[in-house]
Amino acid sequence: MRQKNQPVTDFLRPGHVGCPGCGATIAMKFALQALGSKTIVVIPACCWGILAGAYPQSSLEVPILQTAFATGGAVASGVRAALDAQGDTETVVMTWAGDGGTFDIGFQALSGAAERGEDFIYVCYDNEAYMNTGVQRSSATPYGTRTTTTPGQGWKKTRKKNIIEALAAHRIPYAATANIAFPEDMIRKFQKAKALKGGTRFLHVLATCPTGWRIPSEQSIKVARLASQSNIFPLYEVTDGIHYTLNYEGDQTIAAYLEMQGRFKHLNPEDKNRIQAMVDEDWQLLKQKPARSDESPSKP
Amino acid sequence: MDFHDLSIFMSRSNTSTAINKTGSWRFMRPAYREKTAPCSAACPTGADIAQIQMLAATGQLKDAGQRLLQENPFPAICGYVCFHPCQNDCLRANFDEAVAVSQIEKFLGRYLIETSGNPPCSSLSKVSPKVAIVGAGPAGLSAAFFLRSLGYGCEVFEAQNEPGGLLRWGIPAYRLPLDVLRSEVYRIEQMDVPIHCDRPVDATLRAKLSKRFDAVFVGCGHSRPIALPVQGAEAVLDGLAYLKQLRTKVNPRIQGRAAVIGGGNSAIDVARSLVRLGVETLVIYRRRQEDMPAFTAEISRALAEGVEIRELFTPLQIEPQPSGYNLTLQKMKVANHGGQGQRATVVADAGRTRNLHVDHVFTAIGAEADPHWQPPERAFPEALHLSHCTLTKSHPKPVVYGGDLTNPIRSVADAIASGKQAAMALDTYFTSGWHAVEPRLKACRVGRGSSLSMEIYKSGPRGARLDQLVAFEQINLDYFRPRGRSTVGLSSGETREPVFNNVEARREAGRCFNCGICNDCDNCRLFCPEVAVTKTKTGRRIDLDYCKGCGICVTECPRDAMVLTAETP
Amino acid sequence: MKQVLEGSHAVSEAVRLARVSVVSAYPITPQTHIVEALSDYCSDGTMPARFLCVESEHSAMAAVIGAASCGVRAFTATSSQGLAYMHELLHWASGARLPIVMAVVNRALAPGWNIWADQTDSLSQRDTGWLQLYCEDGQEVHDTVLQAFRLAEGVNLPVMVILDAFFLSHTYEPVEVADQGAVDRFLPALVPRFKLDVNEPYALGQMASPAVYMEMRHSIQMGMARALTWFAQTEQDFSEIFQRTYGAIETVACEDADVVLIVSGTAASTCRLVVTELRARGERVGMLKIKMLRPFPTQAVRRALSGVAKVAVVDRNFSFGASGIFAQEVKAALYNMDRPPQVYSYIAGLGGRDITTVLLEQIWVATRETSAPSEESIWMELRTDLTAPPDDPAEEPK
Repeated sequence: MRQKNQPVTDFLRPGHVGCPGCGATIAMKFALQALGSKTIVVIPACCWGILAGAYPQSSLEVPILQTAFATGGAVASGVRAALDAQGDTETVVMTWAGDGGTFDIGFQALSGAAERGEDFIYVCYDNEAYMNTGVQRSSATPYGTRTTTTPGQGWKKTRKKNIIEALAAHRIPYAATANIAFPEDMIRKFQKAKALKGGTRFLHVLATCPTGWRIPSEQSIKVARLASQSNIFPLYEVTDGIHYTLNYEGDQTIAAYLEMQGRFKHLNPEDKNRIQAMVDEDWQLLKQKPARSDESPSKP
Repeated sequence: MDFHDLSIFMSRSNTSTAINKTGSWRFMRPAYREKTAPCSAACPTGADIAQIQMLAATGQLKDAGQRLLQENPFPAICGYVCFHPCQNDCLRANFDEAVAVSQIEKFLGRYLIETSGNPPCSSLSKVSPKVAIVGAGPAGLSAAFFLRSLGYGCEVFEAQNEPGGLLRWGIPAYRLPLDVLRSEVYRIEQMDVPIHCDRPVDATLRAKLSKRFDAVFVGCGHSRPIALPVQGAEAVLDGLAYLKQLRTKVNPRIQGRAAVIGGGNSAIDVARSLVRLGVETLVIYRRRQEDMPAFTAEISRALAEGVEIRELFTPLQIEPQPSGYNLTLQKMKVANHGGQGQRATVVADAGRTRNLHVDHVFTAIGAEADPHWQPPERAFPEALHLSHCTLTKSHPKPVVYGGDLTNPIRSVADAIASGKQAAMALDTYFTSGWHAVEPRLKACRVGRGSSLSMEIYKSGPRGARLDQLVAFEQINLDYFRPRGRSTVGLSSGETREPVFNNVEARREAGRCFNCGICNDCDNCRLFCPEVAVTKTKTGRRIDLDYCKGCGICVTECPRDAMVLTAETP
Repeated sequence: MKQVLEGSHAVSEAVRLARVSVVSAYPITPQTHIVEALSDYCSDGTMPARFLCVESEHSAMAAVIGAASCGVRAFTATSSQGLAYMHELLHWASGARLPIVMAVVNRALAPGWNIWADQTDSLSQRDTGWLQLYCEDGQEVHDTVLQAFRLAEGVNLPVMVILDAFFLSHTYEPVEVADQGAVDRFLPALVPRFKLDVNEPYALGQMASPAVYMEMRHSIQMGMARALTWFAQTEQDFSEIFQRTYGAIETVACEDADVVLIVSGTAASTCRLVVTELRARGERVGMLKIKMLRPFPTQAVRRALSGVAKVAVVDRNFSFGASGIFAQEVKAALYNMDRPPQVYSYIAGLGGRDITTVLLEQIWVATRETSAPSEESIWMELRTDLTAPPDDPAEEPK
């Protein structure tokens, strides 16, 4: 199978300290392939705060602004304002935050920026826990996961927050999920986000963490792919907060997906059935949205 | 005061992380190691099928054809008549359907004929070793083809008035069009190989050949039909002789009902020829249908064409009648079910016989070689019994027996394999001596069976492939979608075999997994988190300074063209 | 041109004149008037800046950090809870060496919501690497904002311009609003020492190991140390154009004083009246106004207090478990001096309680009359009529 239409310039340098098989580095590779050299990357605290390199090194060919944990949306707003003030409306501002810095501590700044319609691309690369600090739960951690703060029988019994829905509620021009195992789809979405200048574009990228998910590093892409094949991480886009497009329909149950990961190995069959029921329910709800959205009024 | 002289030391960085050689982290190491596709190992000629499909799928028909010719001088013929063991081992069969390799081979073979694609070969030189070939069947002609490609001079001596052997006289025209056969034989002639027809090799000529030539290849096949050891059998027609009659366009009108005794390919060829002439045809076979040595596909086609198979019957007596014959048939029963792949043992079901009246009876229970062409016994010390030929050095000059005389399976593909093996054996014997032959040939295997590759023999890049066969579990099915075979439109009543057109052939070739070889899909480079994979002119390269051995490249290679092994300190 | 402006607007006028490019705003009484005025200017085109209505003070500081990292002049304003909320980013701004200017209206910290003047909010941030300049009146705050940009851009450190809640922020005074041309001469366009640039990419804020972190922090201190002389230079350049100057400290009648009152902010304005009055009565009293708290002008303070027997520090703030903060700072500065004055520490005016001339005179009397300062700061005018909480009947009011 040929990967047609894949741009070939890499803006990620080797020599970074990512764990072998790190999905977050693959995600950045694809993102910058799509966005190009005129990109400023704002990185709040997350794994990428370290992957970016230690002084005096950088692992990217583009400028990086590292910032405090909660500030991804706000710092990018300031960067955008400054660029515009200098007449540069071409450079893309991209916030690159983990799930903690998006779903939890960074949510306020993200919501504020989205509501203001700030002209930037916010990317959450989601490895579904605070991985940089050693695998603690976040509100992006899926139901059923064991982490160091949801250990033993205290495994996480609350649902993963639906960040796309939350952002769609802000009526931003573009919100979409993406998956490192679907590079053509992911790169297309980044290119689309880049072209939709003028408002907030939000991309939620599933990025495997072999270390935190307890999988062999070589399965990193395979597990990510299974997430969408099992509809537990569906691929879809929402424009203007109301028009839904499903990009892919998976045909697998979650059995193989759960089986492959050590972070789920404590689950018994009843737990897994419950999870399957939740996935099925969410998937059915999502599937109804494109039809409903066709009847919605067009944007004002 | 100028504030510009204030020096600031802060966290501002612009050197590259590339000075960190993260390759030191590695405890597993990926590498590009191509492997053997099961189809190519199953193919007696060792054709590089996976590679050929890749080339065909991308429209590189000329290169695909040349790769075919590297291992097989008769791609079109094989496309028409081969029993395609490749398709039986095709890994795609586990996913949706086996790739229609034979159809694609047929297409490429015809393409080569149309574009006069011939392999280059060195011109005949007066001092080059010369080999005499007895028999212009597929074995002999192949031997000539491969010997020429190795630089030897060849001359072929054929008893009949046209070359081809069973290709010409045994296989019916509806299976193998005459023009296709003639075109591919012409390819051999174009390589400076004179084919002397109407020149049967008797003892005198044989002695002369041994003097004039540096070696002799004996590929004369089984020309003597085995007689049916049954009372009244002398009255009936030999199937092979009948087929030859049909090929020489002597077509007596024939009608009514015929019995064909036998279960091999010749019996089926006779049966299928008869139905085409409008004869109601029964095949009588002493064992079960599944035990018939004929190719399964041929049996299926015969049944589809209306041939009836009466299994577990053997003739006791054939009585000519005023019109037709009365056959007394003995019912047989299974005494011992054969194990996997073994034929059952049958015994007479005492007391149960059947009478059958037919207008015509044909026998096709096998053939054997002329006695003076029999290869030496196994125990003969000066003979090297290879899988598809026997090399002897006892005569003044070495003699190689091949083709049906020596082959375990009597097929065209095996005949071609025989010619190739003989060429390699002779060449090795001449250049490196008797004891070098077996090890040298073993080093040219495709996979771990008997198939050999001339490309490997000539130290081509294919020699770098591991002989390990790709297993279905190694194929990453995430990269393939089920898609059935291209079906070729056949109008009703069409009796010739269908042929793909350009579009269909390319589409079907595109279904090939390309097991074990790199087809440039670029997954390895695409997914590498360390940006450690780069494209080179010849393929790809892993920068071991940075590779952490995560193994993603190996897992995401859809076709097992990579390996992940422990890093050695 | 002279206008009658409230203190907030003295700030906003200066921000406009300084040609700030990015303003981030989050409302909190009593700084809101600053950002409201700036919002008007940005809206009606008077000020061609980007105005970001952020959703919190933490984000307000984050936004100006982002903007300043791209090499433009950036400004925000806050108070009290808002300042406390952005605390981690105050450290960030100085560590990132960004020349941000922020107006801080000194307001008390909750609980017990209190919107009135108290310096504890800004003083709690004195470790964050920001320069701190405390202003007394509308003209000073206007001038100091203009100087702050030049100061910040000279040493690549952020500057807080601080003014008392209501007493200054909401008090109307005549202010000579600078002329734009004159400001442009004093404060040319920003040429940043560094900025994010796709044509010359580098990374800001990368992880700094123990091997390099200390040197980065030392560099901040070097900038702070340079700021003392750079501030003097800035004031001199300002004075040449605008004929006004203030000093990192200002002394009034200290040369032969027995007691020097040390004050800051609007209390300094009141103190001038007290010193004038007392001097008229023949008392040897002086006043030291501290404008610059960071960097602390140690040498200037020592020189000013050389030979003075007693100083009375009036703190409108407190560091619990210790003392008034200006008192701590002064003591630290004076400690290694040869024959340092005795330092008396007084706490007054917390939560907007008035610091009157009477109170300051009482402080002077107390200082003069007491031979040695008490160990603890003395809290002035604590009420005795407030009862204990209902569920603790045994507790006796003081």
